[in-house]
Amino acid sequence: MHIPDGYLGPYTYIAMWIIMIPIWYYAGKKLSTELRSKQVPLLALAAAFSFVIMMFNVPIPGGSTGHAVGGAIIGIVLGPWAAIIAISVALVLQALMFGDGGITAIAANCFNMAVVMPFVAYYVYRAISANTEITSSRRVIASAVAGWLSLTTAAAFTGFEFGIQPLLHHTAEGVPLYMPYSLNVTVPAMILEHVLGFGILEALVTALIFAYIQRTDTTILYGEKIAAQKKSKKSATIA
Amino acid sequence: MIPDWMKDVDASPCKCSATRHGKKGFVGKTIDGIFGFLEEAFVSETYSKKNGLLQSLDARAKLVSILAVIFATSMIGDLRILIFVYLLTLLFSFLSQIPVLFFIKRVWLFIPVFAGIIALPMIFNIFIPGDPLLPVLTLGPGAHLGPFSLPEDIYITSQGVNAAIIFTVRVAACVSAVVLLFLTTPQQILFKSLRTVGVPKIYVLTLEMAYRYIFLLMDLIREMYIAKKARTIRARGMLEEQKWVGGRMGYTLIRSIDMSEKVHMAMMSRGFSGEVKIMQEFKMQSRDYAAGAMAISLGVVLVLISHGVLRV
Repeated sequence: MHIPDGYLGPYTYIAMWIIMIPIWYYAGKKLSTELRSKQVPLLALAAAFSFVIMMFNVPIPGGSTGHAVGGAIIGIVLGPWAAIIAISVALVLQALMFGDGGITAIAANCFNMAVVMPFVAYYVYRAISANTEITSSRRVIASAVAGWLSLTTAAAFTGFEFGIQPLLHHTAEGVPLYMPYSLNVTVPAMILEHVLGFGILEALVTALIFAYIQRTDTTILYGEKIAAQKKSKKSATIA
Repeated sequence: MIPDWMKDVDASPCKCSATRHGKKGFVGKTIDGIFGFLEEAFVSETYSKKNGLLQSLDARAKLVSILAVIFATSMIGDLRILIFVYLLTLLFSFLSQIPVLFFIKRVWLFIPVFAGIIALPMIFNIFIPGDPLLPVLTLGPGAHLGPFSLPEDIYITSQGVNAAIIFTVRVAACVSAVVLLFLTTPQQILFKSLRTVGVPKIYVLTLEMAYRYIFLLMDLIREMYIAKKARTIRARGMLEEQKWVGGRMGYTLIRSIDMSEKVHMAMMSRGFSGEVKIMQEFKMQSRDYAAGAMAISLGVVLVLISHGVLRV
């Protein structure tokens, strides 16, 4: 889902930069008050993790292998705002070090994978898991649905960005200059591919990682930390 | 003092990987992927230390120049100018002592996979109507594929071929420019140079640290997979194996968050207060300014020619 340079025309990618800059700015402000001096090491390690999660090959039916994007589990574990920065840093690294994803398209890629994915995942997970016990199996299902839905939504956004290219940029004769296919091709193509294929893998991987965290160390989950902070604040005001 | 022979860099890319053993499952592929990553990082490191034209430029001037070229290229719609930009990147790779063949291979390695899939259907009249160049097949009236109705005759159009070539060459030119940038700049200097385009200090530091810890985490993963490989006699069921991978990912995630706490404490105990300071070791010379100015004006001129404002 990494969009390379030359796929999106200037109107789209400049618009994406204009959308992303305030999001990055706000996320940075929010994190620096929440995490203070912890910010740099936590985000650096989280970004490194977002980078390496794609190295894990998972066996899939048919003897082939695939890998997860990881935006969903990172959103659930770190919280959506920290995930924005961590995944963005990982995406910038990929673009600068390996040419994976374009420079002009960094903002668009960050929007799809570092904003849409963790936010959808985190809120879907929260909504489905509701007030259940942290170790309940409902939360595993919640994380699976979050993984599936977040990747599909991100894919739909990518498809939409592709699909508006022929409307925005074409020569006088109507020959498209960038991504040539219209919305009724790109959006269904991206969604289908992810609903039936990559989305299922993402759901599986998200659920497996979540189940492992449930068994070993639930204190790292962002939702739990927020709840604990609220509790301690309440007890402090009562005392 | 470090003796000169120790500073010498073995410039030829080496094959670090020694993982040829039969059919590759998900374990073998992961180990291969990690070796591939390390090799690539190593190769770009060796080229960035060669004594070429782009290596000798100041990183900030180089970053701004390459960005100017990429942004200009993304706005050019004229095939001849795009080919000119692509040839220019080849010339610069030659002047920067990067073997041109290696450079072409490096760029085109991943272009066909993505751009090819997109560009190939463009040449037919299904997507871009135009003058027929080569008939492919006749479907007859009323043919359709799923919800899409198809034209009576399918043929390759000259407009379609033209659009597909423009699309592919533009992607190639942009990718070449980025590859040039990271092949000729050592990572830590490249990150620092991001300050010039307005990236806040705190993210420059985060990028630098993330880059370093990627190698540590990669090593962790490699060890887990090699340990599994070494102890595996027969593969278990699919779900069992998937569970294993999920667990290892979860473990890596917990490890990295745990490690961030330790790194934080280590930084605090060495006087880190949350305020980021970055050493400035850049020296802009007049040739760096000249290079930046030339690249920017080249970009502007090419865009103007492409849009018909300037005539050659």
